[in-house]
Amino acid sequence: MSEPTYQVVWPLGKSTYQIVAMQSRIKDLASITVGELSHGGFRDQEIRPLVEETLAKQFPGIKFIDHTVFGNIHGRNEAEVVAALPENLRQHKVDAVITGIGS
Amino acid sequence: MVRASVVVEKAGIPTASIVATGFLGQAKATAKSLGMANLGLAEYPGIIMNHSQEELRKNVETVLVPNIIKVLTKPTENAVKVNELRATDVIFEGTLDEVNEFFLQKQWSDGLPIIPPTVERVQAFLKFTDHQPDEVLGVLAPENRQATIWNVAVNGVMAGCRPEYMPVLIAVVEAIAEPDFHLRDAGATPGWEPLIILNGPIAKELDFNYESGILRAGRQANTSIGRFIRLYMRNVAGLRIAPGSMDKGSIGLGLNVVVAENEDAVSELGWESFSSQRGFDRSDNVVTVQSALSTTIPIYSAGDTALDHMDTLVEVFGGTCAFWSHTAVRKGKYFPLLIISPGVAKVIARDGWTKREIQQHLFEHTKVSVRALQKHAWQIGFSEYDLYALVAKGVVSPAYAESDDPDRLVPAFIKSEWIGIVIGGDPGRNQSKGFVQNHDQAPPISKKIILPANWQNLVGKVKKSHEAH
Repeated sequence: MSEPTYQVVWPLGKSTYQIVAMQSRIKDLASITVGELSHGGFRDQEIRPLVEETLAKQFPGIKFIDHTVFGNIHGRNEAEVVAALPENLRQHKVDAVITGIGS
Repeated sequence: MVRASVVVEKAGIPTASIVATGFLGQAKATAKSLGMANLGLAEYPGIIMNHSQEELRKNVETVLVPNIIKVLTKPTENAVKVNELRATDVIFEGTLDEVNEFFLQKQWSDGLPIIPPTVERVQAFLKFTDHQPDEVLGVLAPENRQATIWNVAVNGVMAGCRPEYMPVLIAVVEAIAEPDFHLRDAGATPGWEPLIILNGPIAKELDFNYESGILRAGRQANTSIGRFIRLYMRNVAGLRIAPGSMDKGSIGLGLNVVVAENEDAVSELGWESFSSQRGFDRSDNVVTVQSALSTTIPIYSAGDTALDHMDTLVEVFGGTCAFWSHTAVRKGKYFPLLIISPGVAKVIARDGWTKREIQQHLFEHTKVSVRALQKHAWQIGFSEYDLYALVAKGVVSPAYAESDDPDRLVPAFIKSEWIGIVIGGDPGRNQSKGFVQNHDQAPPISKKIILPANWQNLVGKVKKSHEAH
């Protein structure tokens, strides 16, 4: 006797994301303004100064805006902080953002 | 972190996201589910918390910064969305073994054998709800897929549930789909499990175990619904351990089993049930889902006064929970759960105590030193941990900033009413057991179980069918 077979359906759900276009990259990081975003963990307070120092050596005039200006991106008010980012970054004329730290 | 970077890219500003090596897979998967599969990730090599200052500097200068420069300057192609299947499409036909192998290869199974989700079996589940199959219950992050009545039934079939469990399954998914549940963070390294607590007459109706072995696999309702929630999170929220990448629970916890409260014992004590403390009527059928990181040891307490038992509960349950208070204090949230056996509860009730007095006593007498908080906070990676700032922001009460003594004792719990108390387990033994919870990640969310209009008729048929077998 042959084994029965089963026609089965998909256990997942419809994916809801829409493709987000990548922004143009920056040809030269000299003299740009970098906004820093952070949740304050994983030795961020040690890593960021080193990142700033190393980048500043290679790219004269590069400026950094501290993450505290924009709020904790994974804190108690995450939703509000993240929603306000576009406007806050525009106000500070930010050209690029460094986000951290995923660990 | 990736979520913030995607918002910034959408706003027209290029980003570089710093990610430690072990988290690149999760970051890529998260970015993909947000529509930016090619989001710029700048790798930091290794485990940040284990590096000396010299190693940290070297890694930043020679690896991280070059990666940041590359990400910010090198053009990247946009991702392309792949067409997916429709919910009702038959995706495979095969024998039991072949179906199981297919699901394993697709990472749609938890490793245990599944019941093949045929259309007929799914439709049997759908008879136990008045909802339409295509009704959307929410979108589940991190993979951002729609939770529907249909895929609740599909995963319920796979997990080995009975069709009549369907109303419970729907309520469970409604709970985890709530934004405040923070399912998006369920892949975090602490590795919490979604603990389901069930209250109401349905516990008896569907034969849930609420006595001896309450946390054991072995009763179909408790075990299969416990399996269902993890399977659902895997398939619809995308939370898969390796070779998947969204679930980074470093070690994690074992098989889920639904905790059903012993409603008869609660009534005998004259106490509130777990769900009535949360605002529901005792006649309501309710599921509550919350995170559980670990259990305590079995807590044996003895004596004929409430305080005899409470002393031990503070020592063991409170003491265990105190080791995780550093995360709770940082977020200002903590919802641990204590299961007390009816025998212990009887002694406590005899002295005039209720669940509220138990909660208050645990809160007032469980303390942790600031030195321990700071040590454990640093080790998990909270390198900025300032109790004074947390008090100033109103995250925690002023009790945490009363002096500068690092050995001062502060409350291990945040609020007394956030300590959950469930009556269950062996009525013939003096044992309790607790769960440590993970702060604002999966706080308890309760949902009333909505039964279909013809529930009694349907359940009656099921019972007759069971008896016939």
